[in-house]
Amino acid sequence: MIETARGRAVGPAPPLRRRGPDLIRYIRTHQTRLTPVLLLAPAILTMLFVVAMPLAFSLWTSLTPYRLTRPETIETFIGLRNYIRLFQDEDFWAAFGRTILFLAIALNVEFLLGLCIALLINKITWGQRMLRTIMMFPMMFSPILVGFQFKFIFNDNIGILNNALQSLGITDQAIAWLVDGRLAMFSIIFAEVWMSTSVFAILLLAGLFAMPRDPIEAARVDGCNPWQVFRHITLPFLMPFAFIAMTIRSLDVARAYDIVAVMTDGGPAGRTELLWTMIARTGYENARMGQANAMAYISTILSIAFTYYFFTKLVAARRYMGGAE
Amino acid sequence: MSLNAFKTMAASAALIPALLAGTAFAAGDYGSFEDYTLRVKLIGGAQYEPLYAEISKWEEATGATVEILSRKNHFELDREIKQDIAAGTLDWCVGSNHTSFAPQYGNIYVDLRDHVSGDVLAGFVPLVLEHSTVNDRLVQLPRHSDVSNLFYIKSLYQDADNQSQFAAEYGYDLAPPETWQQVSDQAKFFANPPDFFGTQFVGKDEAITGRFYEMLVAEGGQLFNDGWEPTFNSEAGVRALTWFVDLYQAGAVPAGVPNYLWDDTGLGFASGTVAMNLDWGGWSAFFNDPENSKVAGDVGLTRAPKGSAGIRTGWSGSHTFSVTETCDNKEAAASFVSFLTDYDRQMVEARKGLLPTRTQVWDDAKAEFRADGNDFLVTVFETYQASMAEDAFTPPLIPEWIEVSNVLWPQLQAAMIGDKSAKEALDEAAADARIVMEDAGYL
Repeated sequence: MIETARGRAVGPAPPLRRRGPDLIRYIRTHQTRLTPVLLLAPAILTMLFVVAMPLAFSLWTSLTPYRLTRPETIETFIGLRNYIRLFQDEDFWAAFGRTILFLAIALNVEFLLGLCIALLINKITWGQRMLRTIMMFPMMFSPILVGFQFKFIFNDNIGILNNALQSLGITDQAIAWLVDGRLAMFSIIFAEVWMSTSVFAILLLAGLFAMPRDPIEAARVDGCNPWQVFRHITLPFLMPFAFIAMTIRSLDVARAYDIVAVMTDGGPAGRTELLWTMIARTGYENARMGQANAMAYISTILSIAFTYYFFTKLVAARRYMGGAE
Repeated sequence: MSLNAFKTMAASAALIPALLAGTAFAAGDYGSFEDYTLRVKLIGGAQYEPLYAEISKWEEATGATVEILSRKNHFELDREIKQDIAAGTLDWCVGSNHTSFAPQYGNIYVDLRDHVSGDVLAGFVPLVLEHSTVNDRLVQLPRHSDVSNLFYIKSLYQDADNQSQFAAEYGYDLAPPETWQQVSDQAKFFANPPDFFGTQFVGKDEAITGRFYEMLVAEGGQLFNDGWEPTFNSEAGVRALTWFVDLYQAGAVPAGVPNYLWDDTGLGFASGTVAMNLDWGGWSAFFNDPENSKVAGDVGLTRAPKGSAGIRTGWSGSHTFSVTETCDNKEAAASFVSFLTDYDRQMVEARKGLLPTRTQVWDDAKAEFRADGNDFLVTVFETYQASMAEDAFTPPLIPEWIEVSNVLWPQLQAAMIGDKSAKEALDEAAADARIVMEDAGYL
């Protein structure tokens, strides 16, 4: 007998073998509501396994003293100790600030250079395809190779840059490109910009190709000069493309590691230390993965902030293009 | 013969190979492992490859197959091994290792004295085997060793003007240096920046930690006291760091040294713009090769100089091979690492200028070079053999070595580029190192 919450018997429990047909009947009855859930289930499961579970796992490890070489330490819960240590760690916040500076400079320079390249290539009528392909060459190199390439270009003693400057009589000094605080940051930003400007150029060029000609011709007929056409028609049309590129690149640059690790490894004396060189050293070399994951969680705030900012700007730019403003 | 007697004989016959396989391997006997696939993770790179060309000979001799799962540089391999430990995926048998890295890995590797015969082990240089031992367990078989000696441009020392000017300025004759103070004097004397520099050193990562450490020992100091309290901020430590700072501030070394690693110093000396270069033996052939080096034919070599305590610098380590505890066929794995470090294989590497770990190979390689008229390589091997036998010492063989190094080297750089005094930098590093040692349970 089955009893209700009030204790009244309502009849015998259905035999177990009848539950199968009941389930099928239930699914048939609620088919319309279940169909989307069933169809989305593979995607939801994949997201759970690929994104949610690793995120939850790494969040847990950030609350432990987890060391890669001592797997049993993952079971020791230490609360927010890793986070408290980080909030008191000046070196971490200096790296955090340096990463924001690195991001801001690299993105703006890449945008400006990418815009110039896209505008120039858009003007070309012959050999455009070949130029587009050549423009993408830097993206085809592994970041590690780019790091080694620029490490030797900027070498103060045997590097090609100092040798060229000395041969041309521009300087008689061996400039320590990778040691001086400002020059070292400049050098790694230069390498980053060299490798990735073409991302902006390609996306902005796509924007230029998609741009309708009518508004430009109408503006010219109305007497606008080339600067006014660019400022008030071309640039606003390109901004959604620019913000998409900035969103993608901000995520890339915020986790810049390979080039910096090869060229300076955060040195000298931490002058070029970024978040991910610090996180990688803590997590892998020191094997303190719990602490490294706490750093990584704080660093995701940076990525979320930049992504939110650029999406807000993207929406605003699209609204502007739609004539809402 | 009764059926039971036949079964007993058959069982005994089947047991013999099993017993043989269970015993430690003797020299030249690599066993038989038909149809077995040995999974290995090896260090990759041009200088390591000639040895791997020999692997097919072991496969032919034993009937086994070697599957190379990884062939990466040591730092990437180190990460991969740590990930394997964390994920519990140590499903391979043989891994490249290094004396500096080995203590980090806990007990994942077997004690090879249980798997390799005493005869085989007796062929190795005793000090190198000692350095390969962690917590009284021989967790690695040394493949080749690494210690540094001082290369210099000979013609600079033979030049009569240099000799007279140096003697007038410093009050003693110009000769290849015997002490680090002499290296400092001579480096300042030869330096003419930005065209020419007296010497150079690696300036970041574990590389500068190791250089500082060996100078600290040469000055009579130690990284830790007996209770594992950091003591490198002692007077000896300040003297050791001041040696680097002084040369950097004097412009006797390239301005970029805080960012230099081994390839920068090696290529710098080969470019002919540096008078003296403390480096490992693997560069010898490169320095004396006219196609790669502007100083070829003009390279001298002297033992690493002494510090003020009368001790020679001798930071040393060895590239090695280890066998995992989780290996499903430890005998095959032990056979493989024995093969890779045997006499013939070490001769292959010695001919490329890599420093052997077997006593006999040192002597026979020298004899071969002498017969070929290659006096330079004879000198190289004589110098490095003496260093490995008498001067070599490892960093403390504790798992925290790399972590301590990571708190130390940024402070060494800070002193070098003038952000802090040597004492301030070492005091800060010692405080951070103390936290590392506390966290690890030493204090």
